[in-house]
Amino acid sequence: MKLVTPPRVSPQAFDSAMQAFAGVVGKDWVMASDADRSAYADTYAPGPQEQWPASAAVAPASVEEVQAIVRLANEHKTPLWPVARGKNLGYGTAAPRMAGSVVLDLGRMNKILELDPTLAYCVVEPGVGFFDLYEAIQRDKLPLWLSVPGNAWGSVMGNTLEHGIGYTSYGLHARNVCGVEAVLPDGDVVRTGMGAMKNNPAWHLFPMGYGPTWDLAFSQSNFGVVTKMGLWLQPAPESSLELVFDIPEADDIGWVIDTIAPLKISGLIDQNVFIPSWLGKMVLKGQRKDFWDKPSAIPEWRVQELLKEHKLGYWQVALRLYGEEPVVKAKAEVVKAAMARNLKAAPVENWWRTGDPINAYETTMGVPSAVPLQMSDWIGGRGAHMGFSPVVPATGKAVLDQMKLSRKIIDSFDVDFYASFTIGGRFANNVNMLMFDRDQPQQIDTMKRLFNALIAETAKAGYGEYRTHLGWMDRVMDTFDFNDHAFRRFNEKVKDAIDPNGIIAPGKQGVWPSAYRDQAKEGRA
Amino acid sequence: MKRVLAIAAIALLAACNQQEAAPPPQAKGAPPPPPPYQMRPEAASGNRLTASDGQRAYEVHCGYCHLTGGMGTNLLTKQRMMAGEPPENGLLTNRSDLTADYVRQVVRMGKNAMPQQTKVDITDAELDAVARYLGKGK
Repeated sequence: MKLVTPPRVSPQAFDSAMQAFAGVVGKDWVMASDADRSAYADTYAPGPQEQWPASAAVAPASVEEVQAIVRLANEHKTPLWPVARGKNLGYGTAAPRMAGSVVLDLGRMNKILELDPTLAYCVVEPGVGFFDLYEAIQRDKLPLWLSVPGNAWGSVMGNTLEHGIGYTSYGLHARNVCGVEAVLPDGDVVRTGMGAMKNNPAWHLFPMGYGPTWDLAFSQSNFGVVTKMGLWLQPAPESSLELVFDIPEADDIGWVIDTIAPLKISGLIDQNVFIPSWLGKMVLKGQRKDFWDKPSAIPEWRVQELLKEHKLGYWQVALRLYGEEPVVKAKAEVVKAAMARNLKAAPVENWWRTGDPINAYETTMGVPSAVPLQMSDWIGGRGAHMGFSPVVPATGKAVLDQMKLSRKIIDSFDVDFYASFTIGGRFANNVNMLMFDRDQPQQIDTMKRLFNALIAETAKAGYGEYRTHLGWMDRVMDTFDFNDHAFRRFNEKVKDAIDPNGIIAPGKQGVWPSAYRDQAKEGRA
Repeated sequence: MKRVLAIAAIALLAACNQQEAAPPPQAKGAPPPPPPYQMRPEAASGNRLTASDGQRAYEVHCGYCHLTGGMGTNLLTKQRMMAGEPPENGLLTNRSDLTADYVRQVVRMGKNAMPQQTKVDITDAELDAVARYLGKGK
């Protein structure tokens, strides 16, 4: 990818910035060739990758090196785009929001600093991936479980900071954060919570601290570069029971939500309950063309045929309970009785007890894998996906209304409808997976128009997304419109106060420093 | 097509069972170890810019997809079988037709479902070692 320098930085000034960075990290860890730039491009970009070009990447190995790079970035007016491992697939991968930003790749900082089986927490650096943490726990045979996202290639910290979700009792990842260390835009370093006191052993145990609580202000944010994070982990349960219910009809999602959400809110169910539609199972069975060989959306009659052929319900609820066996048994009776009010068929029951093997793809037991990403093979060619992910109240009515709304829009674009709902408590995350072939401009164009329509119509219904791709960060921020966008004004006021040069992640989530506000119109999908 | 998939599924199961059968008997109560792609070796401690152990670099940096059970292995098993090859060829270490240059190119440029890898993911020295390790074709 050819060089696009940051706004108002000449090629010569850019070179001196790179030389200054090399003085800190060594020349091998400043990556500024055409090939290097391509390596940091958004591999699933909806459209040309050149729309979100990095000018280079720099990879520090320590907090001190991060501080030095941040100070130099201020001096050289060279903005940085921090990534943990840069695997934010579907949301921009490692690519920056603003053209010409230098990717600050923290992947070399990959130490697990603490792993405490008694108080069940860890302290990680940005480069620690889910596989790394899982394997460290296995090596030492510690009684700890992770909560993992569908794609576990990525960074534990990066996923958490982006508000990623998993499917265990600890599935709301940002909720598990307890105490972070961050390098601020002026190069200063701060620790939040009890860590603001030197050597306080409760840093990663008490989440409130003293005074304002800043941990999550560094999530989906451009207020600093997080270099350490304390995260609570789930103690390995003694047993676990999976109850698998096949739910026949699309509209059944209403009563399913009204049955499960109250049990989740009351605490009887601990888990984030993931409810994928049938297509989530089909993508693992082959390629789209094996089941429907036309470019048009799979029609309803064919969907019904496929459900019958493959003995699938429209939805599947694979609900999991964790804990001591008598407790799990008692909870299961409550869940089964509640579901039986609307569903005759008894669930399939899969018990797991300490010592039993764990299925290697079991995300509800915190096992990392990238296998769910096999869905990129569904479309064939260079398959890619984007998720349209609004958050709705966990009531049957709200969920049904949202499903009908997005389904109508997706149908009108003649695209396959692939929805899932994850009940996280009082809310449900609705992910509508949109799959496309990166080499089919027509498909990409349809996806972009569809995505815009989904954002606009869903906002009219009163709902917003919890996360989005680079190309829609501003458009989604626009939907947060209370008091004439007071939220963005507040964020930008803070941003300008702590980052007058605007050098940390300009444009992240639609928050622009005044130094680069003139760039906000660029890079929109 | 369905049949190919069924065979691929059986081959994968067989591969997993082999993994479960292979290790020595464990004390009662201990579960079998996870499949290879979830128990990679620890990364080498030396300078990543001069790494030369291809097998180690492969297992650490490519293993979570390309050891037994990984997503890359699953997809390639299917692909190789459709090309009339045995399912074992889904594992890159069983391939005899890969060249070092080809390995380098796929890693840096990506291919199909596989995204391109940065020099932080795998350094040039590590990649050279991996390319030598996998590049058995001439």
